[in-house]
Amino acid sequence: MELFLQLCIINLNKMKKIKITISGMHCGSCAGNIERSVGKVPGVKSVFVRMMTNTGVVECEDSVSDADLEKAVARAGYKVLKAEKI
Amino acid sequence: MEGYNHAEMQEKSVEDIEIRSWKRKLIWSWIFSVPIAILMFSERLLGLALLPEAWVIPAFLIWGFPVVFIFGWPTIRGGMRGFYTFYFSMDSLIALGTIVAYLTGIFSYFGFIADYSGVAAMIMAIFTTGKYIESVARGRASQEIKKLLEMGAKKALVLRSGREMEIDISDVQIGDVMIVKPGEKIPTDGVVVKGESAVDESMVTGESLPVEKRKGNNVIGATINQDGILYVRATKIGKDTFLAHIVKLVEEAQGTKVPIQKLADKITGVFVPIILLLALLTFGNWWLFGGDVSRAIGVAVSVLVIACPCALGLAVPISLMVGSGMGAKRGILIRKGEAIQTMKEVKTIVFDKTGTVTKGKPEVTDVYSLVKEDYLFEVAASLEKLSEHPLSRAIVAHAGLKSYKKVIGFKILRGRGVEGKIGTKKIIIGNRTLMNEQKIDIKKLNGKLESFELQGKTTMIVVENKKVLGVIAVADALKEDSVVALNRLRMEGYRTVMLTGDNERTASAIAKQIGISEVIANVLPEDKARKVEELQASGFVAFVGDGVNDAPALKQANVGIAMGSGTDIAIEAGDLVLAKSSLIGVVEAIHLSRATFSKIKQNLFWAFAYNVVAIPLAVAGVLHPIVAELAMALSSITVVMNANLLRRKRI
Repeated sequence: MELFLQLCIINLNKMKKIKITISGMHCGSCAGNIERSVGKVPGVKSVFVRMMTNTGVVECEDSVSDADLEKAVARAGYKVLKAEKI
Repeated sequence: MEGYNHAEMQEKSVEDIEIRSWKRKLIWSWIFSVPIAILMFSERLLGLALLPEAWVIPAFLIWGFPVVFIFGWPTIRGGMRGFYTFYFSMDSLIALGTIVAYLTGIFSYFGFIADYSGVAAMIMAIFTTGKYIESVARGRASQEIKKLLEMGAKKALVLRSGREMEIDISDVQIGDVMIVKPGEKIPTDGVVVKGESAVDESMVTGESLPVEKRKGNNVIGATINQDGILYVRATKIGKDTFLAHIVKLVEEAQGTKVPIQKLADKITGVFVPIILLLALLTFGNWWLFGGDVSRAIGVAVSVLVIACPCALGLAVPISLMVGSGMGAKRGILIRKGEAIQTMKEVKTIVFDKTGTVTKGKPEVTDVYSLVKEDYLFEVAASLEKLSEHPLSRAIVAHAGLKSYKKVIGFKILRGRGVEGKIGTKKIIIGNRTLMNEQKIDIKKLNGKLESFELQGKTTMIVVENKKVLGVIAVADALKEDSVVALNRLRMEGYRTVMLTGDNERTASAIAKQIGISEVIANVLPEDKARKVEELQASGFVAFVGDGVNDAPALKQANVGIAMGSGTDIAIEAGDLVLAKSSLIGVVEAIHLSRATFSKIKQNLFWAFAYNVVAIPLAVAGVLHPIVAELAMALSSITVVMNANLLRRKRI
């Protein structure tokens, strides 16, 4: 029963897509570092960072906050300038 | 408009902020580094002592400090962070290299180590310079596409409560009627409600000929009204406009990966830790076997600063960005980076006939009537009025009836024709297949039908109660430049195939006129994807279609090229999208893909080759750390500059 409820909760957690604008990326490993760090945030399903456009797209559960993402980006050594839902 | 513009401005400023900050650091770094450089070179190369011996190292340390630890602080901080978070980047290499070099200056006071502290500042200054040049070139590439948005008008003249007033473009509302004078830009997407004029749409479609616009026509924001006054009702504003869509699309596409990039990404992922390890090994090796710790430090620093994941990481995305920016200006939108790699493998190009090879506006050209022609058209138009098919519309337009007969039991017989009843008379209109199905004897018509078909005309037989009333021949004019475009494709060795619902003879006649080598006729719309699949058995296939009825075929093909004119294109349908309806666009798209892809390969090759050659040289101790850093900076600048050279290429 508990498992069932948990499954329900997981299914209820809607997915969202967030586009983040990141500053400080300037080399080939940067995008990879951010992807690795953000990918570790619980609830993040996929993350795709483009160095060229200084942006990243994160697909995650609704429960993931912008602050979580900002923290993860900061952990890799970069800064989130803007996060917007798409 | 506001929301989007605002976001745009912020995004743009990311690049601007970065360029400006690198520039500031660059200037300050060199102000302090130039004296160090003079000191170093005059002493080491010319043997001139500008300062008393004892002052040299302190001077290096004092002048070098701000360069490394103040102007270079973000790099040092970001790089050193990597050592406890394990998120290594390029910065980690530079940070370690400069700090080690700087510390040698201090440790040299304790003896046994030669001084490299001057090198530290030089490395940081060169690194900063490289980053500045790179950021400028990158900015140039990424701003190209944003310039498209800036091309729009800033103000709009609108009619509100009977008065003309000039308002900001961001205040235009859907439904506003805008007055566009000759020579002015159309403020936003809309539909013409009054007036006639030619509009220059070249910035969106790349087509140089102006397009005639009159009441009821759609116009695109930012295109230029040429000779008449247009009254345009705004239908789309802000981020919904065609131009905003294109920009968004191209930006999205610029982030998509090209498969060839995978290897580069894998390497850059592990690159920095490997170089760190390599530097450590190099240091140990030189110390152990060379016995000279100073030399070992120098060599290790060279290894740290020469390795460059930047060039590898930039090679693909920067080329894609330049290529897609170039395309956007010519009305060629690269939606998926993958398409440009796949395009190289394409051997067969399949064209849908209607709307792709032809104008998609069929007209009645010949009539062979066994009854009074008026009667034939009265019957035919009454039925065809109920169908949306282009051929039906051609008949209805030709007939130009004021009133239509009442039709009951109307049915569309897909790919064959239509049927229905007028009063008690059963009418069928359609092709040979339908006639055979209904067992209508058309032997007597054969000669006529053949002669029409040999001219590339589509024939429709009108039958009333099993009795043939006549034949209506319809032709769809070829696009003017289709012949030129196909000729070029054939010369380049592509196998060209045309898919059509027409019968064999009509299709062959058209194919002959236009120069397509193969024809697959009698294809029902739903079978197009299957035909593409069959062709794929003999190699990669590109499909060119209007994207409206061909979406499955576009998807099935290895490269789907959707084309249309202006706002009518089905953007989501293709891997490549042409905002112009000319087949020359297909040739250009193919050339652009190939040019972009070869630039990608070139850049990847240089980036790989650079590292493969430079790193062993550094390990061998042949390169002074300053030379190593210079080489590193040059390698990423080369990649970016080389990508920008793509612009020179004629497509």
